[in-house]
Amino acid sequence: MGIRIEDLTVTFRNNVTAVNHADLEIPKGIFGLLGENGAGKTTLMRVLTTVLSPTGGTVTLDGILYSERNFEKIQRKIGYLPQEIDLYPNLSVQECLEYMGDLSGIPRATYRERIKYYLEKTSLSEHRKKKMKQLSGGMKRRVGLIQALLNEPEFLIVDEPTTGLDPEERIRIRNLLVDFSEGRTVLFSTHVVEDLAATCNQLAVMKNGKFLYSGNMKELLEQARGHIWICKTKDEGTARELEKKYHVSSKQYVGDELQMKLISETTPQIDCSSCEATLEDAYIYIANKGGKSPISCRDMR
Amino acid sequence: MREMKISLTFRKQVYAVFFVIILSLVRGVTYSDEIGIALETPMAILAFTFCADTYTQEIAGKRSEVWRLCPMKKRINVIYRRIVIQEMFLLAVAVIGYGLFFLFQNPSINRIRQSGSESELCRFFVYFAAIAVTLGFWGILSNLISCLSRNMWVGIGGCMVLWLITNSGIGDRTFGAWNIFSYSFRNIENSNDISWICGKVVCICIGIVAMAVLPNIIQKRG
Repeated sequence: MGIRIEDLTVTFRNNVTAVNHADLEIPKGIFGLLGENGAGKTTLMRVLTTVLSPTGGTVTLDGILYSERNFEKIQRKIGYLPQEIDLYPNLSVQECLEYMGDLSGIPRATYRERIKYYLEKTSLSEHRKKKMKQLSGGMKRRVGLIQALLNEPEFLIVDEPTTGLDPEERIRIRNLLVDFSEGRTVLFSTHVVEDLAATCNQLAVMKNGKFLYSGNMKELLEQARGHIWICKTKDEGTARELEKKYHVSSKQYVGDELQMKLISETTPQIDCSSCEATLEDAYIYIANKGGKSPISCRDMR
Repeated sequence: MREMKISLTFRKQVYAVFFVIILSLVRGVTYSDEIGIALETPMAILAFTFCADTYTQEIAGKRSEVWRLCPMKKRINVIYRRIVIQEMFLLAVAVIGYGLFFLFQNPSINRIRQSGSESELCRFFVYFAAIAVTLGFWGILSNLISCLSRNMWVGIGGCMVLWLITNSGIGDRTFGAWNIFSYSFRNIENSNDISWICGKVVCICIGIVAMAVLPNIIQKRG
Protein backbone atom coordinates (compact mmCIF):
# COMPACT_ATOMS: atom_id res chain seq x y z
CA MET A 1 0.00 0.00 0.00
CA GLY A 2 2.69 2.53 0.99
CA ILE A 3 2.11 6.22 1.46
CA ARG A 4 -0.30 8.41 -0.44
CA ILE A 5 -0.01 12.18 -0.33
CA GLU A 6 -2.82 14.21 -1.83
CA ASP A 7 -2.86 17.96 -2.32
CA LEU A 8 -0.54 18.41 0.65
CA THR A 9 0.15 21.98 1.70
CA VAL A 10 2.25 23.23 4.59
CA THR A 11 2.26 26.95 5.23
CA PHE A 12 4.13 28.33 8.23
CA ARG A 13 3.02 31.21 10.41
CA ASN A 14 5.29 33.60 8.50
CA ASN A 15 3.29 32.74 5.34
CA VAL A 16 6.10 30.70 3.83
CA THR A 17 4.67 27.74 1.95
CA ALA A 18 7.15 24.90 2.26
CA VAL A 19 4.98 22.26 0.57
CA ASN A 20 2.59 23.51 -2.06
CA HIS A 21 -0.33 21.29 -3.15
CA ALA A 22 1.90 18.27 -3.53
CA ASP A 23 0.69 14.85 -4.68
CA LEU A 24 2.83 11.77 -4.35
CA GLU A 25 2.55 8.05 -3.99
CA ILE A 26 5.37 6.21 -2.28
CA PRO A 27 5.27 2.47 -2.94
CA LYS A 28 7.06 -0.31 -1.04
CA GLY A 29 10.82 -0.42 -1.50
CA ILE A 30 13.34 2.43 -1.45
CA PHE A 31 12.00 5.70 -2.71
CA GLY A 32 14.41 8.55 -3.34
CA LEU A 33 13.65 12.15 -2.56
CA LEU A 34 15.80 14.66 -4.35
CA GLY A 35 15.75 18.41 -4.24
CA GLU A 36 17.78 21.52 -3.65
CA ASN A 37 18.11 23.09 -0.19
CA GLY A 38 14.81 24.62 0.86
CA ALA A 39 12.81 22.55 -1.62
CA GLY A 40 10.55 21.31 1.17
CA LYS A 41 11.97 17.80 1.64
CA THR A 42 12.51 18.08 5.38
CA THR A 43 9.09 19.69 5.87
CA LEU A 44 7.52 16.82 3.97
CA MET A 45 9.37 14.32 6.14
CA ARG A 46 8.30 16.13 9.28
CA VAL A 47 4.70 15.80 8.15
CA LEU A 48 5.21 12.10 7.44
CA THR A 49 6.66 11.59 10.93
CA THR A 50 3.65 13.40 12.46
CA VAL A 51 5.87 16.17 13.83
CA LEU A 52 4.13 18.77 11.67
CA SER A 53 0.46 18.96 10.86
CA PRO A 54 -0.27 20.00 7.30
CA THR A 55 -2.26 23.13 6.51
CA GLY A 56 -4.17 21.27 3.82
CA GLY A 57 -4.44 17.97 2.01
CA THR A 58 -4.29 14.41 3.23
CA VAL A 59 -1.68 11.76 3.89
CA THR A 60 -2.35 8.07 4.39
CA LEU A 61 0.02 5.31 5.47
CA ASP A 62 -1.14 1.84 4.48
CA GLY A 63 -4.64 3.28 4.28
CA ILE A 64 -4.48 4.92 7.72
CA LEU A 65 -5.29 8.61 7.53
CA TYR A 66 -2.88 11.02 9.21
CA SER A 67 -5.07 12.52 11.91
CA GLU A 68 -4.51 13.13 15.59
CA ARG A 69 -6.50 10.08 16.64
CA ASN A 70 -4.41 7.84 14.37
CA PHE A 71 -1.04 9.35 15.26
CA GLU A 72 -0.13 6.72 17.83
CA LYS A 73 -0.94 3.92 15.41
CA ILE A 74 1.09 5.62 12.68
CA GLN A 75 4.01 6.47 14.94
CA ARG A 76 4.43 2.79 15.83
CA LYS A 77 5.00 2.03 12.15
CA ILE A 78 7.64 4.71 11.59
CA GLY A 79 11.40 4.85 12.04
CA TYR A 80 13.08 8.19 11.53
CA LEU A 81 16.60 9.45 11.14
CA PRO A 82 16.52 13.26 11.15
CA GLN A 83 19.06 15.32 9.25
CA GLU A 84 20.71 16.32 12.51
CA ILE A 85 20.56 14.33 15.71
CA ASP A 86 22.84 14.49 18.70
CA LEU A 87 22.33 11.26 20.59
CA TYR A 88 23.16 11.21 24.30
CA PRO A 89 26.85 12.23 24.44
CA ASN A 90 27.46 10.74 27.90
CA LEU A 91 26.16 7.29 27.04
CA SER A 92 28.09 4.59 25.27
CA VAL A 93 26.87 3.42 21.87
CA GLN A 94 25.37 0.27 23.43
CA GLU A 95 23.74 2.21 26.28
CA CYS A 96 22.37 4.81 23.91
CA LEU A 97 20.75 2.24 21.64
CA GLU A 98 19.39 0.28 24.61
CA TYR A 99 17.95 3.51 25.96
CA MET A 100 16.24 4.20 22.65
CA GLY A 101 15.01 0.61 22.58
CA ASP A 102 13.51 0.99 26.06
CA LEU A 103 11.93 4.28 25.08
CA SER A 104 10.37 2.69 22.01
CA GLY A 105 8.81 0.01 24.18
CA ILE A 106 10.62 -2.88 22.51
CA PRO A 107 11.18 -5.94 24.74
CA ARG A 108 14.74 -5.98 26.10
CA ALA A 109 15.76 -9.33 24.60
CA THR A 110 14.50 -8.24 21.18
CA TYR A 111 16.26 -4.90 21.08
CA ARG A 112 19.50 -6.42 22.38
CA GLU A 113 19.47 -8.90 19.54
CA ARG A 114 18.71 -6.19 17.00
CA ILE A 115 21.38 -3.87 18.38
CA LYS A 116 23.96 -6.65 18.07
CA TYR A 117 22.87 -7.37 14.51
CA TYR A 118 22.88 -3.77 13.34
CA LEU A 119 26.13 -2.91 15.10
CA GLU A 120 27.75 -5.70 13.12
CA LYS A 121 26.05 -4.59 9.90
CA THR A 122 27.32 -1.05 10.34
CA SER A 123 30.80 -2.10 11.56
CA LEU A 124 30.27 -0.49 14.94
CA SER A 125 30.59 -3.60 17.12
CA GLU A 126 34.10 -2.72 18.23
CA HIS A 127 33.00 0.81 19.12
CA ARG A 128 29.93 -0.16 21.15
CA LYS A 129 31.60 0.72 24.46
CA LYS A 130 32.76 4.13 23.27
CA LYS A 131 30.86 7.16 24.46
CA MET A 132 28.76 8.89 21.84
CA LYS A 133 30.79 12.07 22.23
CA GLN A 134 33.94 10.15 21.28
CA LEU A 135 32.55 9.04 17.93
CA SER A 136 33.26 10.62 14.58
CA GLY A 137 30.43 12.28 12.64
CA GLY A 138 30.05 9.26 10.40
CA MET A 139 29.85 6.85 13.32
CA LYS A 140 27.23 9.01 15.02
CA ARG A 141 25.25 8.94 11.80
CA ARG A 142 25.38 5.15 11.77
CA VAL A 143 24.21 4.95 15.38
CA GLY A 144 21.40 7.33 14.43
CA LEU A 145 20.40 4.99 11.64
CA ILE A 146 20.41 1.99 14.00
CA GLN A 147 18.07 3.78 16.39
CA ALA A 148 15.70 4.37 13.45
CA LEU A 149 15.79 0.68 12.56
CA LEU A 150 15.41 -0.67 16.10
CA ASN A 151 11.63 -1.05 16.05
CA GLU A 152 11.80 -2.66 12.59
CA PRO A 153 9.50 0.03 11.18
CA GLU A 154 7.21 -0.58 8.24
CA PHE A 155 8.01 2.93 7.04
CA LEU A 156 11.54 4.21 7.44
CA ILE A 157 12.33 7.85 6.79
CA VAL A 158 15.98 8.75 6.47
CA ASP A 159 17.12 12.30 5.94
CA GLU A 160 20.64 12.48 4.54
CA PRO A 161 21.78 9.18 6.11
CA THR A 162 25.13 9.18 4.34
CA THR A 163 26.26 12.67 5.35
CA GLY A 164 29.76 12.59 6.74
CA LEU A 165 30.42 8.99 5.78
CA ASP A 166 33.45 7.84 3.84
CA PRO A 167 32.85 5.98 0.54
CA GLU A 168 33.03 2.50 2.09
CA GLU A 169 30.70 3.44 4.92
CA ARG A 170 28.29 4.97 2.43
CA ILE A 171 28.16 1.80 0.41
CA ARG A 172 27.60 -0.23 3.58
CA ILE A 173 24.74 2.01 4.70
CA ARG A 174 23.19 1.99 1.25
CA ASN A 175 23.28 -1.79 1.16
CA LEU A 176 21.82 -1.96 4.64
CA LEU A 177 18.94 0.26 3.54
CA VAL A 178 18.36 -1.86 0.45
CA ASP A 179 18.28 -5.05 2.57
CA PHE A 180 15.96 -3.38 5.05
CA SER A 181 13.57 -2.14 2.37
CA GLU A 182 12.37 -5.65 1.51
CA GLY A 183 8.64 -5.62 2.14
CA ARG A 184 8.87 -2.15 3.67
CA THR A 185 8.86 1.46 2.55
CA VAL A 186 12.04 3.49 2.87
CA LEU A 187 11.99 7.18 2.05
CA PHE A 188 15.57 8.16 1.31
CA SER A 189 16.15 11.88 1.13
CA THR A 190 19.57 13.02 0.04
CA HIS A 191 21.63 15.48 -1.93
CA VAL A 192 24.02 12.74 -2.92
CA VAL A 193 22.69 11.72 -6.29
CA GLU A 194 24.98 8.67 -6.55
CA ASP A 195 23.37 7.26 -3.41
CA LEU A 196 19.98 7.32 -5.08
CA ALA A 197 21.35 6.00 -8.33
CA ALA A 198 22.80 3.05 -6.42
CA THR A 199 19.71 2.23 -4.36
CA CYS A 200 16.42 3.43 -5.80
CA ASN A 201 14.25 2.63 -8.75
CA GLN A 202 11.62 5.16 -7.84
CA LEU A 203 12.21 8.75 -6.91
CA ALA A 204 10.69 12.19 -6.72
CA VAL A 205 12.28 15.54 -7.44
CA MET A 206 11.14 18.45 -5.33
CA LYS A 207 11.49 22.15 -5.94
CA ASN A 208 9.77 25.08 -4.25
CA GLY A 209 7.44 22.74 -2.36
CA LYS A 210 6.23 20.92 -5.48
CA PHE A 211 7.12 17.67 -7.14
CA LEU A 212 8.69 18.30 -10.51
CA TYR A 213 8.97 14.61 -11.16
CA SER A 214 7.89 11.43 -9.53
CA GLY A 215 8.30 7.98 -10.92
CA ASN A 216 10.80 5.59 -12.35
CA MET A 217 14.47 6.49 -12.50
CA LYS A 218 14.78 5.15 -16.05
CA GLU A 219 11.99 7.44 -17.21
CA LEU A 220 13.69 10.39 -15.58
CA LEU A 221 16.88 9.60 -17.45
CA GLU A 222 14.81 9.15 -20.59
CA GLN A 223 13.36 12.64 -20.18
CA ALA A 224 16.86 14.11 -20.03
CA ARG A 225 18.06 12.12 -23.02
CA GLY A 226 19.02 14.37 -25.93
CA HIS A 227 19.48 17.37 -23.68
CA ILE A 228 22.93 16.60 -22.34
CA TRP A 229 25.88 17.73 -24.40
CA ILE A 230 29.61 17.43 -24.20
CA CYS A 231 31.86 20.07 -25.63
CA LYS A 232 35.52 20.97 -25.45
CA THR A 233 37.15 24.32 -25.57
CA LYS A 234 40.61 25.78 -25.07
CA ASP A 235 39.36 29.32 -24.77
CA GLU A 236 38.52 30.49 -21.25
CA GLY A 237 36.28 33.24 -22.55
CA THR A 238 34.16 30.71 -24.44
CA ALA A 239 33.96 28.53 -21.31
CA ARG A 240 32.74 31.48 -19.27
CA GLU A 241 30.22 32.35 -21.97
CA LEU A 242 28.89 28.78 -21.96
CA GLU A 243 28.57 28.80 -18.18
CA LYS A 244 26.49 31.95 -18.38
CA LYS A 245 24.25 30.52 -21.07
CA TYR A 246 23.77 26.90 -20.02
CA HIS A 247 23.72 24.69 -16.97
CA VAL A 248 27.08 23.03 -16.64
CA SER A 249 26.82 19.74 -14.79
CA SER A 250 30.51 18.99 -14.94
CA LYS A 251 33.76 20.35 -16.29
CA GLN A 252 37.24 18.94 -16.27
CA TYR A 253 40.55 19.49 -18.00
CA VAL A 254 41.40 16.83 -20.53
CA GLY A 255 44.90 17.62 -21.66
CA ASP A 256 44.95 21.33 -22.41
CA GLU A 257 41.25 21.43 -23.22
CA LEU A 258 38.36 22.08 -20.90
CA GLN A 259 35.64 19.46 -21.31
CA MET A 260 32.21 20.66 -20.28
CA LYS A 261 28.91 18.88 -19.91
CA LEU A 262 26.08 21.20 -20.83
CA ILE A 263 22.39 20.82 -20.19
CA SER A 264 20.23 22.42 -22.80
CA GLU A 265 16.87 21.77 -24.41
CA THR A 266 18.33 22.77 -27.77
CA THR A 267 21.70 22.05 -29.35
CA PRO A 268 24.25 24.50 -27.89
CA GLN A 269 25.80 26.98 -30.27
CA ILE A 270 29.19 25.35 -30.15
CA ASP A 271 30.76 22.23 -31.53
CA CYS A 272 29.40 19.53 -29.24
CA SER A 273 27.98 16.03 -29.14
CA SER A 274 25.05 14.51 -27.32
CA CYS A 275 25.87 12.12 -24.48
CA GLU A 276 24.17 9.76 -22.02
CA ALA A 277 22.51 11.44 -19.06
CA THR A 278 23.47 10.53 -15.54
CA LEU A 279 20.98 10.92 -12.69
CA GLU A 280 22.72 14.14 -11.71
CA ASP A 281 22.32 15.54 -15.23
CA ALA A 282 18.70 14.44 -15.31
CA TYR A 283 18.07 16.11 -11.97
CA ILE A 284 19.60 19.40 -13.13
CA TYR A 285 17.61 19.15 -16.36
CA ILE A 286 14.29 18.53 -14.58
CA ALA A 287 14.93 21.09 -11.86
CA ASN A 288 15.72 23.81 -14.38
CA LYS A 289 13.46 22.96 -17.27
CA GLY A 290 12.33 26.10 -19.02
CA GLY A 291 15.46 28.15 -18.76
CA LYS A 292 18.52 28.82 -16.71
CA SER A 293 17.87 29.78 -13.12
CA PRO A 294 20.41 30.50 -10.39
CA ILE A 295 20.68 26.79 -9.43
CA SER A 296 23.83 25.02 -10.54
CA CYS A 297 25.28 21.64 -9.92
CA ARG A 298 27.15 23.15 -6.98
CA ASP A 299 23.93 22.67 -5.03
CA MET A 300 24.35 18.97 -5.58
CA ARG A 301 27.18 16.80 -4.42
CA MET B 1 22.00 4.41 35.62
CA ARG B 2 21.54 5.56 32.02
CA GLU B 3 19.01 8.13 33.17
CA MET B 4 21.51 9.42 35.75
CA LYS B 5 24.16 9.85 33.08
CA ILE B 6 21.69 11.85 31.00
CA SER B 7 20.10 14.05 33.64
CA LEU B 8 22.97 14.35 36.12
CA THR B 9 25.88 15.32 33.95
CA PHE B 10 29.25 15.97 35.55
CA ARG B 11 28.96 19.68 34.78
CA LYS B 12 25.63 19.93 36.54
CA GLN B 13 26.88 18.07 39.58
CA VAL B 14 29.94 20.29 39.82
CA TYR B 15 28.05 23.58 39.63
CA ALA B 16 25.46 22.41 42.15
CA VAL B 17 28.10 21.41 44.69
CA PHE B 18 30.11 24.58 44.12
CA PHE B 19 26.95 26.60 44.53
CA VAL B 20 26.34 25.37 48.08
CA ILE B 21 30.01 25.52 49.03
CA ILE B 22 30.23 29.17 47.97
CA LEU B 23 26.88 29.96 49.55
CA SER B 24 27.89 28.45 52.87
CA LEU B 25 31.13 30.43 52.77
CA VAL B 26 29.72 33.83 51.90
CA ARG B 27 26.30 33.85 53.56
CA GLY B 28 26.71 34.61 57.22
CA VAL B 29 24.43 33.08 59.88
CA THR B 30 24.56 33.69 63.62
CA TYR B 31 22.11 31.09 64.85
CA SER B 32 21.51 27.63 63.48
CA ASP B 33 17.81 28.30 62.87
CA GLU B 34 18.84 30.85 60.23
CA ILE B 35 20.45 28.18 58.07
CA GLY B 36 17.17 27.09 56.52
CA ILE B 37 16.36 30.69 55.61
CA ALA B 38 19.84 31.18 54.19
CA LEU B 39 19.48 28.10 52.03
CA GLU B 40 15.86 27.97 50.85
CA THR B 41 15.70 30.84 48.35
CA PRO B 42 19.14 30.29 46.78
CA MET B 43 18.42 26.56 46.52
CA ALA B 44 15.23 27.45 44.62
CA ILE B 45 17.41 29.20 42.01
CA LEU B 46 19.60 26.13 41.81
CA ALA B 47 16.55 23.89 41.42
CA PHE B 48 14.95 25.81 38.57
CA THR B 49 18.25 26.17 36.74
CA PHE B 50 19.10 22.54 37.28
CA CYS B 51 15.78 21.08 36.13
CA ALA B 52 15.01 23.42 33.23
CA ASP B 53 16.62 21.08 30.70
CA THR B 54 14.96 17.91 31.97
CA TYR B 55 13.09 17.57 28.71
CA THR B 56 14.37 20.48 26.61
CA GLN B 57 17.72 18.73 26.26
CA GLU B 58 15.85 16.46 23.84
CA ILE B 59 14.90 19.51 21.79
CA ALA B 60 18.40 20.99 21.96
CA GLY B 61 19.90 17.63 20.96
CA LYS B 62 17.39 17.41 18.07
CA ARG B 63 16.11 14.13 19.46
CA SER B 64 12.59 15.35 20.15
CA GLU B 65 11.38 14.34 16.67
CA VAL B 66 12.52 10.78 17.32
CA TRP B 67 11.00 10.93 20.81
CA ARG B 68 7.64 11.75 19.24
CA LEU B 69 7.56 8.33 17.67
CA CYS B 70 7.89 6.61 21.05
CA PRO B 71 4.86 5.68 23.18
CA MET B 72 3.59 8.61 25.22
CA LYS B 73 3.59 6.61 28.45
CA LYS B 74 7.27 5.75 28.06
CA ARG B 75 8.19 9.36 27.30
CA ILE B 76 6.38 10.69 30.35
CA ASN B 77 7.84 7.99 32.58
CA VAL B 78 11.32 8.97 31.45
CA ILE B 79 10.68 12.64 32.23
CA TYR B 80 9.26 11.82 35.67
CA ARG B 81 12.23 9.57 36.36
CA ARG B 82 14.64 12.33 35.40
CA ILE B 83 12.83 14.79 37.68
CA VAL B 84 13.02 12.36 40.60
CA ILE B 85 16.75 11.72 40.02
CA GLN B 86 17.54 15.43 39.85
CA GLU B 87 15.40 16.24 42.88
CA MET B 88 17.08 13.51 44.94
CA PHE B 89 20.46 14.89 43.99
CA LEU B 90 19.42 18.45 44.85
CA LEU B 91 18.06 17.26 48.17
CA ALA B 92 21.38 15.63 48.95
CA VAL B 93 23.12 18.87 48.01
CA ALA B 94 20.73 20.80 50.28
CA VAL B 95 21.58 18.46 53.18
CA ILE B 96 25.29 18.85 52.50
CA GLY B 97 24.76 22.61 52.38
CA TYR B 98 23.14 22.51 55.81
CA GLY B 99 26.18 20.69 57.17
CA LEU B 100 28.57 23.08 55.43
CA PHE B 101 26.92 26.04 57.16
CA PHE B 102 27.73 24.42 60.47
CA LEU B 103 31.25 23.77 59.31
CA PHE B 104 32.07 27.19 57.87
CA GLN B 105 29.82 29.55 59.85
CA ASN B 106 29.91 27.81 63.22
CA PRO B 107 26.46 29.15 64.23
CA SER B 108 25.22 29.22 67.78
CA ILE B 109 22.60 26.55 68.40
CA ASN B 110 21.00 28.31 71.36
CA ARG B 111 18.75 31.25 70.63
CA ILE B 112 16.34 31.87 73.49
CA ARG B 113 14.09 28.95 74.04
CA GLN B 114 15.48 25.82 72.50
CA SER B 115 18.59 23.96 73.36
CA GLY B 116 20.20 20.56 73.03
CA SER B 117 20.71 18.21 70.14
CA GLU B 118 17.11 17.08 70.02
CA SER B 119 15.72 20.49 69.07
CA GLU B 120 18.52 20.92 66.59
CA LEU B 121 17.62 17.59 65.01
CA CYS B 122 13.98 18.60 64.92
CA ARG B 123 14.97 21.89 63.27
CA PHE B 124 16.90 19.97 60.66
CA PHE B 125 13.95 17.70 59.87
CA VAL B 126 11.68 20.72 59.46
CA TYR B 127 14.26 22.23 57.12
CA PHE B 128 14.53 18.93 55.26
CA ALA B 129 10.78 18.75 54.68
CA ALA B 130 10.53 22.42 53.65
CA ILE B 131 13.49 22.31 51.28
CA ALA B 132 12.26 19.05 49.72
CA VAL B 133 8.98 20.77 48.84
CA THR B 134 10.77 23.91 47.63
CA LEU B 135 13.17 21.98 45.41
CA GLY B 136 10.38 19.83 44.04
CA PHE B 137 8.18 22.83 43.29
CA TRP B 138 10.81 24.89 41.47
CA GLY B 139 12.23 21.92 39.58
CA ILE B 140 8.84 20.82 38.31
CA LEU B 141 7.76 24.36 37.50
CA SER B 142 10.86 25.22 35.49
CA ASN B 143 10.57 21.97 33.55
CA LEU B 144 6.92 22.72 32.83
CA ILE B 145 7.58 26.26 31.57
CA SER B 146 10.53 25.01 29.52
CA CYS B 147 8.35 22.33 27.93
CA LEU B 148 5.62 24.86 27.21
CA SER B 149 8.01 27.23 25.49
CA ARG B 150 10.33 24.47 24.20
CA ASN B 151 13.18 26.56 25.57
CA MET B 152 14.99 26.07 28.87
CA TRP B 153 15.92 29.73 29.10
CA VAL B 154 12.26 30.74 29.10
CA GLY B 155 11.78 28.19 31.90
CA ILE B 156 14.62 29.71 33.89
CA GLY B 157 13.50 33.27 33.13
CA GLY B 158 9.87 32.59 34.04
CA CYS B 159 10.88 31.03 37.33
CA MET B 160 13.26 33.90 38.03
CA VAL B 161 10.40 36.40 37.69
CA LEU B 162 8.24 34.37 40.07
CA TRP B 163 11.19 34.01 42.43
CA LEU B 164 11.76 37.78 42.48
CA ILE B 165 8.08 38.45 43.18
CA THR B 166 7.65 35.87 45.92
CA ASN B 167 11.03 36.43 47.52
CA SER B 168 10.35 40.09 48.24
CA GLY B 169 8.64 42.29 50.81
CA ILE B 170 5.75 42.75 48.39
CA GLY B 171 5.45 38.97 48.00
CA ASP B 172 5.50 38.49 51.74
CA ARG B 173 2.88 41.18 52.36
CA THR B 174 0.67 40.01 49.49
CA PHE B 175 0.70 36.27 50.08
CA GLY B 176 1.59 36.06 53.77
CA ALA B 177 1.54 32.50 55.02
CA TRP B 178 0.50 31.33 51.51
CA ASN B 179 3.70 32.60 49.97
CA ILE B 180 5.74 29.80 48.41
CA PHE B 181 8.70 31.08 50.43
CA SER B 182 6.69 31.14 53.65
CA TYR B 183 9.34 29.00 55.35
CA SER B 184 11.92 31.73 54.77
CA PHE B 185 9.55 34.49 55.87
CA ARG B 186 8.37 32.70 59.02
CA ASN B 187 9.01 34.11 62.45
CA ILE B 188 11.96 32.04 63.60
CA GLU B 189 11.59 33.22 67.16
CA ASN B 190 8.19 31.61 67.43
CA SER B 191 8.62 27.92 66.69
CA ASN B 192 4.97 27.27 67.55
CA ASP B 193 3.88 29.24 64.49
CA ILE B 194 3.52 26.67 61.76
CA SER B 195 1.33 28.76 59.47
CA TRP B 196 4.19 28.71 56.92
CA ILE B 197 3.05 25.19 56.07
CA CYS B 198 0.25 26.83 54.04
CA GLY B 199 2.87 28.12 51.58
CA LYS B 200 4.32 24.65 51.24
CA VAL B 201 0.85 23.22 50.66
CA VAL B 202 0.49 25.73 47.82
CA CYS B 203 3.81 24.45 46.40
CA ILE B 204 2.65 20.85 46.63
CA CYS B 205 -0.68 21.62 44.97
CA ILE B 206 0.91 23.57 42.10
CA GLY B 207 3.54 20.83 41.74
CA ILE B 208 0.87 18.12 41.48
CA VAL B 209 -1.06 20.14 38.88
CA ALA B 210 2.15 20.76 36.93
CA MET B 211 2.99 17.05 36.92
CA ALA B 212 -0.55 16.22 35.84
CA VAL B 213 -0.61 18.64 32.89
CA LEU B 214 2.89 17.72 31.71
CA PRO B 215 1.74 14.78 29.50
CA ASN B 216 -0.67 17.06 27.64
CA ILE B 217 2.02 19.66 27.10
CA ILE B 218 4.50 17.06 25.87
CA GLN B 219 1.87 15.67 23.52
CA LYS B 220 0.91 19.08 22.14
CA ARG B 221 4.30 20.74 22.05
CA GLY B 222 6.43 17.66 21.42
